[in-house]
This record gives sequence, structure tokens and C-alpha cells, in this order.
Amino acid sequence: MSGTKARIFGVMAAVLLATACGSAGKPMDPAPVGQVEAPQPGGVGGADQQGGPATQNNCNALASLAPNPAITAGSTMAKIKSAGKLTVGVDQTSFLTGFRNPITGNLEGFDIDMAKQVAAALFGSSEGHIQFKAISSSQRVDVLKNHQVDMVVRTFSITCDRLKDISFSSVYYLAGQRILVDKASKVTKLADLAGKRVCAARTSTSLTKIASDPSKPVPVSVENWSDCLVMLQQRQVDAVSTDDVILAGMAAQDPTVKVVATRFTDENYGIGIPKDHPDMVSYVNSVLDEVRNGGAWKSSYDHWLQPSLGDNSPPTPVYK
Amino acid sequence: MTTTATRPGAPGGPPQTPVRAEPPTRQEPRSGIAGLLDLPGNAVRGIIRSAATTPGRLSVIAVGLVLLALIIGLVGTLSAQDRKNTINDLIDHREPLASAAQQVYRSLSDADATVASGFLSIGTEPLATRQHYEADIAQAGAALAYAASDSAGVENAATQVGILNQQLPVYTGLIETARANNRQGFPAGASYLREASELMRSKLLPAAQELYHINTERLTAEQDDATSFPWLATALVLVLIAVLIWTQVYLTRRTNRLLNVGLLVATVSVVVAVLWGSVAMIVQSALVSSGQSDGSRQIDVLVRARIAALQARADETLTLVARGDGAGYEKDFGTLAGQLLGQDKQGGLLGEAKDLASGKDSANDVDDAVKNAAAWVDAHTQVRKLDDSGQYQDAVDLVIDAEKPDGTAIAFGRLDQNLVDAINSDRQGFLDDTRNADRALTALAPGFAVLAVFAAAGVTIGIRERLREYR
Repeated sequence: MSGTKARIFGVMAAVLLATACGSAGKPMDPAPVGQVEAPQPGGVGGADQQGGPATQNNCNALASLAPNPAITAGSTMAKIKSAGKLTVGVDQTSFLTGFRNPITGNLEGFDIDMAKQVAAALFGSSEGHIQFKAISSSQRVDVLKNHQVDMVVRTFSITCDRLKDISFSSVYYLAGQRILVDKASKVTKLADLAGKRVCAARTSTSLTKIASDPSKPVPVSVENWSDCLVMLQQRQVDAVSTDDVILAGMAAQDPTVKVVATRFTDENYGIGIPKDHPDMVSYVNSVLDEVRNGGAWKSSYDHWLQPSLGDNSPPTPVYK
Repeated sequence: MTTTATRPGAPGGPPQTPVRAEPPTRQEPRSGIAGLLDLPGNAVRGIIRSAATTPGRLSVIAVGLVLLALIIGLVGTLSAQDRKNTINDLIDHREPLASAAQQVYRSLSDADATVASGFLSIGTEPLATRQHYEADIAQAGAALAYAASDSAGVENAATQVGILNQQLPVYTGLIETARANNRQGFPAGASYLREASELMRSKLLPAAQELYHINTERLTAEQDDATSFPWLATALVLVLIAVLIWTQVYLTRRTNRLLNVGLLVATVSVVVAVLWGSVAMIVQSALVSSGQSDGSRQIDVLVRARIAALQARADETLTLVARGDGAGYEKDFGTLAGQLLGQDKQGGLLGEAKDLASGKDSANDVDDAVKNAAAWVDAHTQVRKLDDSGQYQDAVDLVIDAEKPDGTAIAFGRLDQNLVDAINSDRQGFLDDTRNADRALTALAPGFAVLAVFAAAGVTIGIRERLREYR
């Protein structure tokens, strides 16, 4: 009896197997896509390889050379004046501080105004006497070391690391790092970003701060600040963290994002100048004194930054 | 349990008597198969027996010759028809496909360059630039659909078409996002444009280039196929002629009659078929080869020159877009200009095209292209001089203003038009040559079949006449 049962089972198994093989199975997917690759800005990376510059000023970094408007023969300023042209490294992607206005084609912003003030003091008018070179954040120190530009005005924080390679003018703006997130986000401080993807420009002090924070956010680095806004809009990062003034420029371009957290760093912006041009540092400091005290600073600030950041006054310079 | 269940034969036959059922089923086919196996043996033995006598031998020869003539008729007709089909496929599919792949590659390169120049313009981009971009995208889409229709079965081509089909809408989406931001005066627009350009250069253009290579190679392979030597048909025809001659010599010896009309007709038919076939195929091969050397090979060089020019144009524009941060683009421009013109402004791809074009319709266009490319590279030097000395807006005007007589926009525009004209002229050359190659094979396939039937009939009649004398 058990043998007959076994045979019946065998027949049933064979029939079942035949039906399974003979049937069409699941409908096939005629065009499998796999993982969709979303477009990204060029050159997206992680934390800086050698550890970027940290915002630590225990070397009395803010003390610059005393202002001196004199242009002595044979000095750097005399050479620039006789060449008739001041070459300035700037940003063309950061709204409000340094950006190309697509409607006029001109470079505009608070940093651009500062650069124009230096050219105007030297030549009487900046018109036709200033050559802008757009540079990325990571190129700022190198273009000065290689003398590709006369100075860099590009949301450039004075730090002890950078002072090893270049000189800085006195402080012309005091910013601080904050966080930009989607309006629906519940993030209110850096610690809330633990494990989240946070964007900053390569070799910026902001990226170093993100990468070294104990709450361990995941740093995402890009070439230009506006690439961070693109990645945030494409939902490829959860937040952007950098100086409030840059974040204000991003928030002004997109009403669906907000700036959160109180300032957790102090970023002192100075104009970068090659280390072997101390006379230029003194000259630029004298121009900045005039800019801070003469109303030019306030009118530029009120035009570009006041609507986003509220009333403010120029920082007090420190000299050696 | 399981071993019993899987015993062979159990599910099919009645479960009680699987072993007993086997012997009778084995015996029946054995006798049938054995009988079948005996058939050829019997036939061969019969043929050998009858070949011992002269009439028998004649019959064997007749059957052999008729079979051979019919086989040759079949092989020759099929290979002539196959050749004709290959040539028609060259005209109807391969060349249009290579051209479609070329269009995809070209219009995408052009879109990249156009978008970049739109970015340099102040305010919204000029109407002409926008229309140019829209035409590029429409052209790329249409050509891609055509290229996709034939990529099935060619895995690599299908992969490239898949990449292009997936990424092209993403690219256009980024461009529109950039436009929306630009209109509001936001620099994020520039970042979206850079992202779009990055996507174009890292994914779309490499895929389009690969697709173009695949289709050009398929075109060349099929051209080689259409000029290959028909070995099988030739060998069979030679054997047939030899056997026909041998048969006639044999018959003359045996019967002392000089001529056998039937066999003579057969021989003449085969010789006519050989002569017709050889002449037609020689002419056809020569025409296909000339369509390759004068047409498609030169088109390939011109297309590569045109795409190098387009990409150099994009680099020139992006150098200005980057505004001082564009050393990489300028380096690319130098490399591409070197590929285009060579170091002495006479060599490179255009120099190669010039050598290939000498004496042809496209020669003038290629000469003009060399001149305009040289003018462009000179104007570009001027642009760099202006930009490097701080006259940024003047440099931009030279690059995007098509009205400036010494600008790069006008020189590049002329170069591109020269290359378009040369490519069109060479495509016409390819089409004319290949169409004529097709005409050279007119009626060859049916003609070959008819002549083979003549030969078979001649053999039958000729040998039957002799056989009759033995009755």
C-alpha cells in the first residue's frame, strides 16, 4: 500500500513540476532600470583629505598691519597703479556676497563692493581698472601664493593656518556658521544633524567644522557654494552649513528653506593678499578704514545683506 | 520512498507492468530503422552495379550533372539574392542608422555648446540661441528613436541607447530649472547649468560617441560583407564545368560523335552564368568599395572633425563662463583644435579629410573648412588675449556675437556649415555608388536560376539522346 501511495505522490510531483515549468511564471519586466542615478554637480566629495583650515585664532590672527595710504615708488601698489589694473579673485556663485547677475551679466555683491572700493581708492574709479577672476573656495590660497591675482575678496575667514601662506587685511565683516535646512525640517542645532548629509565647499572652515563635530554629520563637499543649494533642492543633502551670510544668499533664492541654529563659530572675513606684499596690506587696511567709517560699508550692507540679516555695523579692526 | 517514486518509466506506463511493457515497444522500431538504414546501402550497391555498364554509367553521370547544375543554380541564385539584399540593407538601414547615430552625437554636442553661449548672453538668451537649442534637442530625440529601432540584439548599442534615453530628459529638465533661476536673477541657475553640462559630458556624450562607433563599425562590416568573394558558388561552378567537359570528351571517345547539342547548351549556359556573375559581382564590389572609400570613410573623418569642432566651441564658451576658473576648458580647446587642424594648421582630421576629398564634389567644402577653422583658431587667440588682459566683455562679444566679422562665432558658424555641406555631398556619393552596385546585380539571381535550369535540361536531353542508341 505504501508503495502505491509513493507512486501516486511521485506522479503528482511530476505533474506539478511539469505545470510549474510549463506556465509563464511571473510577467517579465521588459526594461529593468535598476538604480536611478540622479544628476549631481561636478566634483562632489567628502571631507577634505588633509583636514581643512580650522577656525582657531590663538595666534592673534586678527591683528593686521597698521593702515598706511602712502604709495611709495617701487612698491606693490605703485606697480599695480602703473599697470592700470587690479586683479581680484572673487566668487561668482554666492548670491548677495559675490555672484554673476544673470540679468546684467555683471559681478555683484557685498564682497564685490569691497573689491571695487580698493580699486576706486587706487585709480579714482573702479570702472575699467578691475579684473575679476572667478575662483572656487579651494583655490583661494593657491592663486595668492602663485600671484595669479593681486588680492582675494571671497568670504575668506582669517585663520592661523592660512596666515602661514598668505596675509590678510583687517576684518571687514564678522560672520558665523549656521545651518540651512528645508522648512519642514526639525533640525535646530548642529547636534541634530548626526548621521545626516551636510554640504559645504571644499577646503572651507565650515567643512572642517562639520567633519570634526562629535555628533558626526556626514560631510559632503562641492566646488562652489551654490552647488550646495542645488544638492539641497535635489534632496541629495539634508542640510547646508556655513557662514550665515552665504546661507542668507541661498535662502533668498529659495522660499522653501530656512536658516536655523545660533552662530556656532566666528568667521572674520579679511581680504587675502600675497605674503610678500606687506605694503599692500597696509594700503588695503587704510581703504577699509575709510570704507567702515565713511558710510560705504553701511550702504553696501544695507543694500545686500540687511533685508536678510537685519541691522548691523562694521567690526572694529585690530592692528599689530 | 523517494527512490521508488522517481524510478524511470513509472509516471508514463501503467504502474503495475513497467518492465513487461518494454520489450515489444523496442522491437517494432528496430525493424523499421534497420530497413531505413539498409536503403542507402542498397541504393549505392544498385548504382555501383549499374555503373558497370555504359548506359548505366551514362545515367549516373546524367543524374550527377543535373543535381550539380540544380545545386549550383540554388547556391548561385541565393548568394546573388543575398548580395543584393545586403546592398539594399546598406542603403535602407546601415547608412541611415550610422547617420542617425551621428546626428545624436552631433546634436548633443551642439546643445552643450549652445547652452553655454546662452549663459554668456545678458538677460534672457537670444531667440536664435533658444531656437537652436530646441532644434538640437528635437533632432537628438528623433535620431535617438531611429537608432533605438535597430539596437535590439546588439547589446552594447542597446545599453548606450538606454543611457541616452534615460538621461536626455534629465538634462533638459536641468536646463529648464537653470532658466527659471536665471530669469529671477539667481546664481543657482548657473550651478544648474554647470550640473547639466557635467551630465552631458560625463554620461550623454560618451554614450552618443559609443553608439556612433558601433553603428559606423556595423556599416563597415556590412560593406566588407558585400564585397566578399563567393567561394562556394565559384568552386561548385568550376567543378560543374570540369565535369561537363570531361563528359563530352568521354562521350566523343565512346560514340565517335564530335558534338552533343544538349551538353553543349548546358556548357554554354554555365559559362554565360559564370561570365555574367563574375562581371556583375566585380562591378558591384568595386562600386561598394568606392562608396566606402569616397563616401562612408570620408564621412566618418568629417563627422569626427565636426564633433571635435563643436566640443572645442563648447570649451571656448565655457572658459568664459568660468571667468578665470576655466584653465581646464582652455586646455581641452587646445587639444581639440590640435585634433582638428594639427599643429601646422594643415594636418589633423581636416587635413585627412582634405586628402580623401581631393578630386571629389566635397573638395571645395573641405578646403573652405580648413580656411575657416584656421580663422577660428586665430580669432580664438584674440579672444584669449582680450580675456587675459581683463577685457572680459569684449572677449564675450567676440565669442557670442555672430555679427562681429572677426569673431569666433562667425568663423565657427562657417566651419560648421562647410562640414555639413561636405558630409551631405559625401552621403550622396555613397548613395549613388551603392545604388549603382545594386543595379549591377539586376536580374542576376533569377538569371542564374534560369541558366541552371537550361544546363540541367541540356544535360538531360543530351544524355537521353545517347541512351536511346543503346535500346
